[in-house]
Amino acid sequence: MKASIGWTAPPDLVLVRSLATLCRGAVTPVEGETKSLTSISGPIEVRPNLEQPSHATLDVHIRPLASISGTDSKALAATLKALLTPSLLLSHHPRTLVQIVGQALCGSNSGSGMGSAGKGWNTTLIASLVNATTAALLNTAAVPMRGVVCAVSVGRLRSQSASPTLILDPSESELPYLSGSGCFAFLFSSVVTALPDSEASSDVPPCSLLWTNYSANTSFTESELVDARKLAERGAVEVWKALKESLGSMGKSAVTLVGWKRDKNTTVKEVAEEPSESASESEVDDEKMEI
Amino acid sequence: MSTILPGEAVPAQHVNLKLGPGLLQLSSADGKSSIISTRAGELNHSANRSRWWIESNARRYVPASQESVIGVVIARSGENWRVDIGAAHMATLDGLAFEGATKRNRPNLKVGSLLYARVSLAHKDMEPELECFDAQTRKAEGFGELKGGFVVHCSLKMCRHLLDPKHFLLPMLGAQFPLETATGLNGRVWINAKEAKTIIAVSRCIEAVDSDGGGMDEASAKHFLGTLDI
Repeated sequence: MKASIGWTAPPDLVLVRSLATLCRGAVTPVEGETKSLTSISGPIEVRPNLEQPSHATLDVHIRPLASISGTDSKALAATLKALLTPSLLLSHHPRTLVQIVGQALCGSNSGSGMGSAGKGWNTTLIASLVNATTAALLNTAAVPMRGVVCAVSVGRLRSQSASPTLILDPSESELPYLSGSGCFAFLFSSVVTALPDSEASSDVPPCSLLWTNYSANTSFTESELVDARKLAERGAVEVWKALKESLGSMGKSAVTLVGWKRDKNTTVKEVAEEPSESASESEVDDEKMEI
Repeated sequence: MSTILPGEAVPAQHVNLKLGPGLLQLSSADGKSSIISTRAGELNHSANRSRWWIESNARRYVPASQESVIGVVIARSGENWRVDIGAAHMATLDGLAFEGATKRNRPNLKVGSLLYARVSLAHKDMEPELECFDAQTRKAEGFGELKGGFVVHCSLKMCRHLLDPKHFLLPMLGAQFPLETATGLNGRVWINAKEAKTIIAVSRCIEAVDSDGGGMDEASAKHFLGTLDI
């Protein structure tokens, strides 16, 4: 009995181009109620003790909404550094510094602490932080990239039946109903080899999984992890397309706010015996507002 | 002319293929090579498809050879000058790299002087080096110290627009009042005019037409210039 997958609407992705002149490239994606802000400076001058002779040094700082950055923020910073290093061509700028500062703009009220380390960094917030960093890197265009990193979060609903239901991008209010969750980060590039069971698309480059922290408070099988990965991949493709579209509409004239407002379809279909995936399609409303 | 994200494959094929900024050729383990984009922007190619490049807007300058830049002298090291050109590393300018300079007859620069110079050496492993004369003629040709005036910071794409003779802004401003400008490809523009309010008006126009500050087109820029009190 395969796990059934219900697909809530992919995240609302609103990319706001902010024009801070001090930090080059700062973007806030708004995923439902989850917000984070990332600023990138680089390649800039580096202190001699951090300097590397053949690569740019990547310096990542993560700040939570309240209080100073503790162990979980430092762990997340190390994860983000490991995520970005394969996607950036750091050898093109030796002896320089690329400094990334990520800031959460919303806290975790539920404090469920599922999957990710501790209160304050739920999986959707981690996904929005990774996407904000990617968007800021695209905006700054000064650090050469090998590919684009997109992240989505997957949650697993608490249920009595043996086949758990997986949902994409659980919101803050859905967190208490989850018995497991995780964030999946994918690298989209034409030089990666995708897994054989990925759905190929002609306009989207192949993707490979870079990192996940999927965990649950009951045991789960490998096939559930595979299903979660496949669901996350479909969500990540949508994030990639949203990034490309907002990039295309940016540029010539005034600051453009591109929002993908999808009807959040919260009903999840649970199909018990059939080994089929049920995906609930939702309407796409493309709104572009010029400020 | 299409929007492209980094990591996407580029269908560039020609006998004499030349890859411009933003494109990289990678070879895979089985000997095949592919061309991918390394930054986000618009993919362009020449008419005969032999030259391909990516147009993007950045704010951080990366030095490249033979580009004209505006620098600020920050220190003196022996006979050379250390100049800040807005890149990750400081540039070196030889004390004799000026037209007609000899050991007894050197230009008198101070810390904080503005210079219009040409990048003579730019390599990722070395510090960039500058020269204040034209490469072929060995004459000043406008390079050297910039006296007076005011420096405006803008995005790199705006600098490229200002250097384009077909762009509307500088001819439009020059028709209104006498003006001297020097545009560096490192995101800096030097402006000099007789009155301070003219300099301020020009700098505000440049910031308004820059895509970071709103990206005004010709008609709105003309209207904007009319609202400024000059």
